[in-house]
Amino acid sequence: MRETKGVISRVDLPLLVGILLLMLFGIMTVYSVAFNPEHPSLFDTSQKYGKQILWIGVSLFLGFLILLIEADVYRKFAEYIYIVTLLLLVVVLFMPPVHGARAWLGIGGLGIQPAEFAKISTALMLAKWVDETNIKLQNTRSIIETLGIILLPCILVALQPDAGTLLVFTSFFFVLYREGISFDPLVLSLLRYFPRLKFKTTWLGTHFVPFFFFLIMLAFLSLFLSGSIFNPFGIQLSGPLFLIFIITFIALVFLGFILFFGYPRNKTKNLIVLLSSYLFSLFLVSSITFIFNNLAAPHQKSRIELVLGLKEDPNGADYNRNRAMAAVGSGKFLGKGYRKASVSSMRTNHVPESETDFIFCPFAEEWGFLGIVVLISLYLFILFRIFFIAERQRSVFFRVYAYCVGMVIFYHFAINIGMNIGLAPVIGIPLPFMSYGGSSMMAFTIMVFILLKLDSQRRDVLR
Amino acid sequence: MNLDNRKYLLYALVFITGVLLLVRLFYMQVIDDSWTRRATEIAEKRREIIPPRGVLVDRKNRKIVINKISYNLMMIEERIKNLDTFAFAKLIGWDVKKVKARFREIVKNEGIYKNPSTGKTQSNYRKDRPYPFVKDLSLEEITLIASRLTDFPGFYEEPTGTRYYPYPNGANILGYMNEVGRKEIESDPFYRPGMNIGRSGLERSYEEILRGKKGVRYIVTSATNNEIEPYADKKYDTVAIPSPKIKLGIDIKLQQYGEELMKNKKGCIVAIEPKTGEILTMVSAPCYDPNLLSGRKSIRKNYPSLITDENLPLFARPLQAEYPPGSIFKLLQALICLQEKEITPNTGFPCNKSVVGCHDHPYPSSVAKAVQFSCNPYFYAAVRRVIQPNKNKNVFADAEIGLNNWHKYMMGFGLGNKLGVDIDTLAQRDGLIPNAAYYDRYLGHHQWAFSTIRSISIGQGEIKLTPIQMANIAVIMANRGWYYTPHFVKSIGKKGKLKKYRTKHVTPIERRHFDAVVEGMRRVVYEAGGTGKEAKIENFTVCGKTGTVQNGKNKKNHSVFIAFAPIDNPKIALAVFVENAGAGGAWAAPIAGLMMDKFLNKKVTNKEKENSIKNANLMSSY
Repeated sequence: MRETKGVISRVDLPLLVGILLLMLFGIMTVYSVAFNPEHPSLFDTSQKYGKQILWIGVSLFLGFLILLIEADVYRKFAEYIYIVTLLLLVVVLFMPPVHGARAWLGIGGLGIQPAEFAKISTALMLAKWVDETNIKLQNTRSIIETLGIILLPCILVALQPDAGTLLVFTSFFFVLYREGISFDPLVLSLLRYFPRLKFKTTWLGTHFVPFFFFLIMLAFLSLFLSGSIFNPFGIQLSGPLFLIFIITFIALVFLGFILFFGYPRNKTKNLIVLLSSYLFSLFLVSSITFIFNNLAAPHQKSRIELVLGLKEDPNGADYNRNRAMAAVGSGKFLGKGYRKASVSSMRTNHVPESETDFIFCPFAEEWGFLGIVVLISLYLFILFRIFFIAERQRSVFFRVYAYCVGMVIFYHFAINIGMNIGLAPVIGIPLPFMSYGGSSMMAFTIMVFILLKLDSQRRDVLR
Repeated sequence: MNLDNRKYLLYALVFITGVLLLVRLFYMQVIDDSWTRRATEIAEKRREIIPPRGVLVDRKNRKIVINKISYNLMMIEERIKNLDTFAFAKLIGWDVKKVKARFREIVKNEGIYKNPSTGKTQSNYRKDRPYPFVKDLSLEEITLIASRLTDFPGFYEEPTGTRYYPYPNGANILGYMNEVGRKEIESDPFYRPGMNIGRSGLERSYEEILRGKKGVRYIVTSATNNEIEPYADKKYDTVAIPSPKIKLGIDIKLQQYGEELMKNKKGCIVAIEPKTGEILTMVSAPCYDPNLLSGRKSIRKNYPSLITDENLPLFARPLQAEYPPGSIFKLLQALICLQEKEITPNTGFPCNKSVVGCHDHPYPSSVAKAVQFSCNPYFYAAVRRVIQPNKNKNVFADAEIGLNNWHKYMMGFGLGNKLGVDIDTLAQRDGLIPNAAYYDRYLGHHQWAFSTIRSISIGQGEIKLTPIQMANIAVIMANRGWYYTPHFVKSIGKKGKLKKYRTKHVTPIERRHFDAVVEGMRRVVYEAGGTGKEAKIENFTVCGKTGTVQNGKNKKNHSVFIAFAPIDNPKIALAVFVENAGAGGAWAAPIAGLMMDKFLNKKVTNKEKENSIKNANLMSSY
């Protein structure tokens, strides 16, 4: 009992309060969206708001239990937890599909999504694995094993299929980068086929994750700009040309930095990195543009155009996003007022899933830009708090896990809001702690409470 | 390797993403309005409430135009999903072919236009607009259909008003309504496809009052287009304001009586209340039951036969037909001669049949007697003095001065121009009072003198008047020198009549000159040798003047009579015009008498006369 009290007093209060605030916003918005005049009570469990409160209650109860369990358990049993969730992910594939995806493990009327919990177990497994890896002694095998921990659940989730969750798993790569897991051994083993090149280390292998992310963003941008025309200095430039123009400009700025402010010692290396990155970027932009404009089949092209918002089809394939953006945009600066959402309310049903994946919509519509500033600030606060917590851990296991939690929440936050405002493709992933739904609420709560528990015991760790 | 710096990459990623989202949201929510407009398009609907069309009552508050509710089955193509054409055709009682043809017809009726920006020819038809699919369904018909419309998304019922006329009279006054055309919809935001607009008569001229003011309701609709709740607590809603009740000067019973008298004849009766200018009755014979053109089904059925009828029932003769006035014109000639001091009330002229034909009658020793006998040579001699005033030695130049002076007087009686009755001006004619310029155009400058144009002195020749102008002459005589522009609408709600009809027009003739002429009019009816004895009624003194209008060689004369009664403080002034009937005293005078009897004595005692007129059929003489 003394220990319980101790744990609770050592729990990181700002993070806990932040999470509870998000839950409150969630209940509030679900109540507004799903309001049923025949069941006005907030606690009526026949309604979505009542159920949401029930889910939050269950989640917080589970969280409380987690605070009571010894923190060492996760480290000790990480493999077992990981294997059990993998098995669940296999089992779920044999379940009847709901909305076209075999994601639900149903027990009577209730169901859970193992994929939500796979995020936790993968994070734990990854944390343990990185903890036990000697960063200075990485080899091809250790890299492949690390990748395998992430890719195994990825493959199973992809089979459901659940593109959203698949995407979220890629957030772990950023954590690997932060921890110094290098793809160098892989790159070096590839370079072995070119006998003349001899490197001890490569820039590409070391910084593969941000570089790869940069390439994806660049690819996205070049597709986005493929059809448009710019007119910057009186010269007409097609979108890709304009992009190349900008890349060249940025490269020149970097060149200036390297020449005038860089360490002379690293000058040659930096110049090589810059030149190769620059050339690779040019190659990527031009090849993607060429493939998209000349080689892509019309249906693929139109699909991509839709996702990028280059083509309008407000009542067809683009229905959800168009409605969602209208709802968000119509909130204006101050919003329409609580329970005044006319587009995204479930009664009007213009925005499908406005209580789950699109819950950002009614919030934005009712509270306007002012409310959004508060909400996004709250998320950013929570994310930075998690990173702060991560950095104060003495144990690698704790730190990796904390970063994993942070990145998963960040991905959900960025992609979910992004798809509500036309910046990201419509992929069904929930907004953490706000979207209606038991599995995601429980998974996120458990995830954060494990973090809180680990954090509360950070001083007990000797290393 | 310093891994610690790498955390800043993650921080930057999170921070930049957050800023990016906020910037994008700021743009969407605060700067860019298009999403708000899109949201309005999606979820907030503007529903217009069209008030019931205004009701018309007669001077005794009898309802003469009311609304009967009927229904249109409306269609919005965009919302039609998986239409089971067979089941739908069965529901509305059509065959499948007709249903398909109707879809094509709607598109075709909308027409095409050339898009100015693309140069392509496009249809005006829009899939997101409502169009009436089946029009004018009765309550019984729509209740059968409406209960099953949920099976056919894209179709819905909409009430529309059809006009109903409790009295089958006054069709040419009231006018009719028909569906608005595309141009009207484009030029006036009030109209939507399927709505009606006044096409003629008062329905047309008072359209903007009768239609009332639209109300608007803003509502929140669901994705399935159901109404969810009022938008913004009805903050922006406006109430529909129905038209105020429009009261007419018409006495519908008198109108009805007039139409009965004019049955099987061609011509008009126009009766006006002299002291107000309100039109009591305006009969245009032959006429039709206004209910024949109420509702689109009826119009489709009846309009073709009405428009092709050789007797022109749709033609509002009192306003649109121009006739030579004949002898009734002598009243004005007498007044002008008196005013110009060319004669005195006691001036006599011999009945010299060598200049112009006349009938046998005693010597017209005064103006009153000249009017009584309708002596042609008298007026020939008198008017000659006005038109040849001896102001110029050149007889042609003198005639020019005289005619223009005379013309000015005639214009002062409201002739030669539309009077401006409150029925749309297109349906009114000017009549014709020639001036010097007119004859110069046809005969050449200084090529004519009084002797050339002498037939105008007895209301023949070039002179043309509309029957409403003739009735207005009776009003001027009754009032001894002034009139209000004749009009139908007595009051609009509590606002009274339009200002235009509250302005008194005074003729350029002094009051004193009227006595002799009015005495002549009394003599026409009461004295031996008078031509209008048939207009006599009990209890009231009638003043009148007959006219027998020559009308080509082989045709019978038009019969004209204008009158007012009683002689002092007159209550009714009227003109009766019967085409090709013969002498004014034979047909127009008795009809005028019966009308005055009906109006002043409330009942007609001389049933014999009434029946002989009612049963007379002159249609064979046309």
